[in-house]
Amino acid sequence: MRRLIAGLAVLTLAAAGAGCGSDDPGAGSGGADKVKVGVIPIVDVAPIYLGQQKGFFASRRIELTMESGQGGAAIVPGVVSGQFQFGFSNITSLLVAQTRNVPIKVVANGVASTGQAGKDFGGVTVRRDSPITKAADLAGKKIAVNTLKNIGDTTVRESVRKAGGDPAGITFVEMPFANMPAALQAGQVDAAWVVEPSLSAVTAAGGRVVAWNYVDAAPDLTVAAYFASTKLIADDADLVKRFTDAMNESLSYADAHPDEVRAVLGSYTKIDPKARAALTLPKWPTAINKVSVETLAKLGEQDGIFAGATPDLTKILP
Amino acid sequence: MILRLSGLAGLLLLAEALPRLGLVADLPPASRILAALADEAGTAAFWTAVGDTLTAWALGLAIAVGAGVAVGVLIGAVPTLRAWTASTVEFLRPIPSVALIPLAVLLYGTDLGSTLLLVVYAAFWQVLVQVLYGVADVDPVADETARSFRLSPWARLRHVLWPTALPYVFTGIRLAAAVALVLAVTAELVIGAPGLGSVIAVAQSSGALPTMYALIVVTGLLGVAINVGARYAERRFLSWHQSVRAEPAR
Repeated sequence: MRRLIAGLAVLTLAAAGAGCGSDDPGAGSGGADKVKVGVIPIVDVAPIYLGQQKGFFASRRIELTMESGQGGAAIVPGVVSGQFQFGFSNITSLLVAQTRNVPIKVVANGVASTGQAGKDFGGVTVRRDSPITKAADLAGKKIAVNTLKNIGDTTVRESVRKAGGDPAGITFVEMPFANMPAALQAGQVDAAWVVEPSLSAVTAAGGRVVAWNYVDAAPDLTVAAYFASTKLIADDADLVKRFTDAMNESLSYADAHPDEVRAVLGSYTKIDPKARAALTLPKWPTAINKVSVETLAKLGEQDGIFAGATPDLTKILP
Repeated sequence: MILRLSGLAGLLLLAEALPRLGLVADLPPASRILAALADEAGTAAFWTAVGDTLTAWALGLAIAVGAGVAVGVLIGAVPTLRAWTASTVEFLRPIPSVALIPLAVLLYGTDLGSTLLLVVYAAFWQVLVQVLYGVADVDPVADETARSFRLSPWARLRHVLWPTALPYVFTGIRLAAAVALVLAVTAELVIGAPGLGSVIAVAQSSGALPTMYALIVVTGLLGVAINVGARYAERRFLSWHQSVRAEPAR
């Protein structure tokens, strides 16, 4: 029975502990604000890790913790519910959230395409022996994307359209980027939209890139951004401003120091050093390319990603 | 023992040979996986991940067992309560714990809390159902005898109900321990809560296949260790019970 009472005590404690799960960020040691950022542990978020290492956040009294969600799915609700103060997500996901009136707003740029066909960090790949040689050939084929009804399929459709093909007959298949090289090799899909480091894996195995969908969609496409809840922006404008400043400094630093970016990748991913040295890095400008965001909104609307709604860019962009 | 280990050796040989013969694409040979395992074991981050997973497992299991036993004894001992709650239990029990992932994320983000919610939900029913069976198994003659000797409800619980239910409780714990590990790793893998699961996901998205498989092997080893531990505890605490006493003779 004593064990039973102990069990009950544990239960009560746990319930009490659960109650304080959504505490506001308290002031940390030395008056620094404790800030949690929901990120996906991929190449795109290297600047925030680098900026943390360089002290760009500490110097602005921000004590940063990165929480890695396995995808935007956990990050947007996390930011809205206050689990995270900031989050990282691709633009199309943010536009989808906006059309559903999710109270969030972009506070800093995230990552951008290099804008150069042949030298971007993501593209549509096929097997070495595939009959597909150009974007127009992708019409009617089975293509892997990491998330359906998101930035991948909408930009791939644009690539096909621009090349004179009809994107209507394409079947998109959802699978994690990391599974795509194997799926391509095994012939489960005709083509795969991959980003680094999976892009390097495909080309190393002899695969070819047939379309640079980010480049085709818009020049210097803004791919993703950091965002906060409108509540935090209203309640603690000073913290948001300090975060934005630190983030911008991190983005500029990362853009200017590719070698340090490749080094910091080793701290939060398991990409092996050889692959780190070889992969194509994205661009990290501090400015959000509004024209490209408008293009993504237009493309998404055309492809029915927003369920008939039109995203209001003034509500989501700073 | 040697015969048992030969199965493992055979598996290792197969896992070494198949990829080398090119029969399985994207599965590194066992030797490379073991090398990656050795590399991982040398890092602090790996042990932190193991610690996080075991913490979520142990805490979740403790809560589930505590709640399962308390609720089970209460419901089981009061027939009216049992009748009232039967449909509720039958409705809630089959809900797969992973279906609660969206709820967990909304409530706890990617914290330990999310993992705990899934672990406790899955493990609780394993314990509860076993306890209910255990309570139902009380010998009516013994119960009536205790009543006619005017034993207090507490004494009847202690001396009649509890010894009967205990073997069932341990079966429940053993089942729950395995399920709790599965759910802990799943939650970390899908939600990204800290632990082995999230490290597996990072290794996967980094294209570090040997490391990914090495970590999967670690979760398997944890499962074996947990099962062996649960069986040992069962034998030790139930050494007086015929189900355990009879075992060596078999």
